[in-house]
Amino acid sequence: MTLKALGALIAATGVLVASLPAGAQGPIRIGASLSLTGTYAKLGNYMHEGYKLCAKELNARGGLLGRKVEFVVYDDQSMPATGVRLYEKLITEDKVEAVMGPYSSPITEAVVNVTEKYKKVAVSPLAATTSIFKRPPDKKRYYIFMIISPAEVYLEGLIDMAAKRGLKTVAILNEDTLFAKAAANGAAEIARKKGLQVVFQEGYPKGNQDFSAILTKIRAANPDVVAGSTYFDDAVAITRQMKELNLNPKMYGLTVGGDLPEFYTLLKQNAEYIYGATQWEKALPYPGNKEFNEAYTKEFGREPVYHSAAGYAGCQVYVEAVKRAGTLDADKVRDVLLKLEMKTAFGDYRVDQDGFQIAHKMVMTQWQDGKKVIVWPDELATGKPRYPMPAWNQR
Amino acid sequence: MNVVVTPTMVGQVVISGILAGALYAMVALGLALIFGVMRVINIAHGPLLMLGAYTTYFLYAGLGLNPYLSVPVSMAVLFVIGAVLQRTLVFRVVDAPELSSLLLTFGISIALVNLAQLAFTSDLRAVEYLTGSWGLGPFAFSKTRVLAFVFAAGVTTLAFLLLQRTRLGRAIRATSQSREVAMVCGVNVGRIHTITFGLASALAAAGGALIAVVVAVQPEMGQVWTFKSFLVIVLGGAGNYPGALLGGVLLGLVEQIASLFLTSQLSEVVAYVLLVVVLLVRPTGLLGGRQT
Repeated sequence: MTLKALGALIAATGVLVASLPAGAQGPIRIGASLSLTGTYAKLGNYMHEGYKLCAKELNARGGLLGRKVEFVVYDDQSMPATGVRLYEKLITEDKVEAVMGPYSSPITEAVVNVTEKYKKVAVSPLAATTSIFKRPPDKKRYYIFMIISPAEVYLEGLIDMAAKRGLKTVAILNEDTLFAKAAANGAAEIARKKGLQVVFQEGYPKGNQDFSAILTKIRAANPDVVAGSTYFDDAVAITRQMKELNLNPKMYGLTVGGDLPEFYTLLKQNAEYIYGATQWEKALPYPGNKEFNEAYTKEFGREPVYHSAAGYAGCQVYVEAVKRAGTLDADKVRDVLLKLEMKTAFGDYRVDQDGFQIAHKMVMTQWQDGKKVIVWPDELATGKPRYPMPAWNQR
Repeated sequence: MNVVVTPTMVGQVVISGILAGALYAMVALGLALIFGVMRVINIAHGPLLMLGAYTTYFLYAGLGLNPYLSVPVSMAVLFVIGAVLQRTLVFRVVDAPELSSLLLTFGISIALVNLAQLAFTSDLRAVEYLTGSWGLGPFAFSKTRVLAFVFAAGVTTLAFLLLQRTRLGRAIRATSQSREVAMVCGVNVGRIHTITFGLASALAAAGGALIAVVVAVQPEMGQVWTFKSFLVIVLGGAGNYPGALLGGVLLGLVEQIASLFLTSQLSEVVAYVLLVVVLLVRPTGLLGGRQT
């Protein structure tokens, strides 16, 4: 089948990239499935580049435990079931010595059952859903580690800014999948705490393209703030259809998607005033961030997004833990990862006893004249938010 | 927390439903033609629509061609691709059991999607041509959707005129009614099959070109249209061409109204439950299908 051919092609590319063996043992092969095609393709590819850059820099500095490192990456087509199959294959057939996490919460949630079964440490750079890590005692997971801030706080910045401006009502819509739902529920929770009323909250199926009905309902609810817990394709479609239906909130913010450069490329000036939540920005003063930006842009001919930086940093965190442990042994690496405190180009890393991230911070951006400006939190802001969002037909 | 539904809101989603329904009808008419004439269920119909969308996108991004002017160009390109597919592959399964044609077109579908991923990458593209809407009282008429409706209605009318009024159309309908009798009357059935497949692909391409402006373009955009088209022709009556029109508008309305009163997740459930009910009560579709 073409799927297999494609997988083989990608694997072959991976092998070609890191061809020369270092030392007698050969390279340390790190397996991962990534969403190179399908709904999450855009983001999965950015993450893949983060992994690739991490491995390249590591090998240039002499590798890990005296051996080169190479990634064995397959395409899970943005489907959890495919991811599960691929991790089984990576661990049992390809016999990789280590693994890294895939892209997205739904796929991570599925594949960590496999990595736990085979006792592999899975640093999961782009899984932001709390329930993957916080589990009932009898279903505890031991070997997974979180890099990014949890889904629940993605829209905290948007809600916080709205509350400070004295806005009263918020409508929330989300893709009905693990991460997006958690982010939507988290936003609703924060909104209630800060005294805003959630006047509308509804999910839509993954791959939905027609948002007329859901946006008609939001228009009738007439909220001050519209918060979308989206990925990318849906973020674009919702924005276009908001304009079509002339839905004009005072603030409009998105979780993923709203912050990608492609969001502006596709929507042009219609992306102005829109807030995006992001785990990372290139302008943030984290150690090594500037160097990461330069190396990444040189290597791939495009600027990194937070998914690139998280992939890169996740890989670095794992590598650092292996170095300190002096071995690939899962239990020893786990002990190091639980205690590790590290500052990367992506920000802070520190986890609690469940591998749940507690140090990393989110920021909120807004599109202003084609540029992303960090507008929240105040201590990291590079500009002031433009408020309110003007009506679509008055721009 | 839920919103009280007002008549204005119902009006708004009925507008959206009818606008979407015209597109469904046009795309599904292509599938109905192929099924009617050849008894082939073309799973690759959606991916052909995707190729039409890319044609429009590249003409717009590369040459700056107005996406609405590129509708006939996309149709012509896909007519040729469709005809070639028929001549090289599909003709082999016309008389074979229906499972063979399902397998073949399923294979073509996977091949087209993966080729598109290799050639065009999975990046989302959009033809950001017309945005916003025209207002009429409390209702918003999305510019791109209204134009899509106008074009879909126009193309569908032309397709019907072709079927009803021309010699070629009569030959297509004759072949669809009885291939043997058509052959005896001097119709070149092989040629009619090729033209029909080309025509159906052109209808899909028109849909793709219009969707490129309304939503966005990516390699996997097509599959959902195969399912929707299938739903439409079964609702309307497989092989019954006016049935495709009724089915299309019906599906558009059902989806929108169900999303309004229930949720978007449940709207798909409602559409497929409707399909099951129609199959139970009127297995030949609302307007009656043709007997095999």
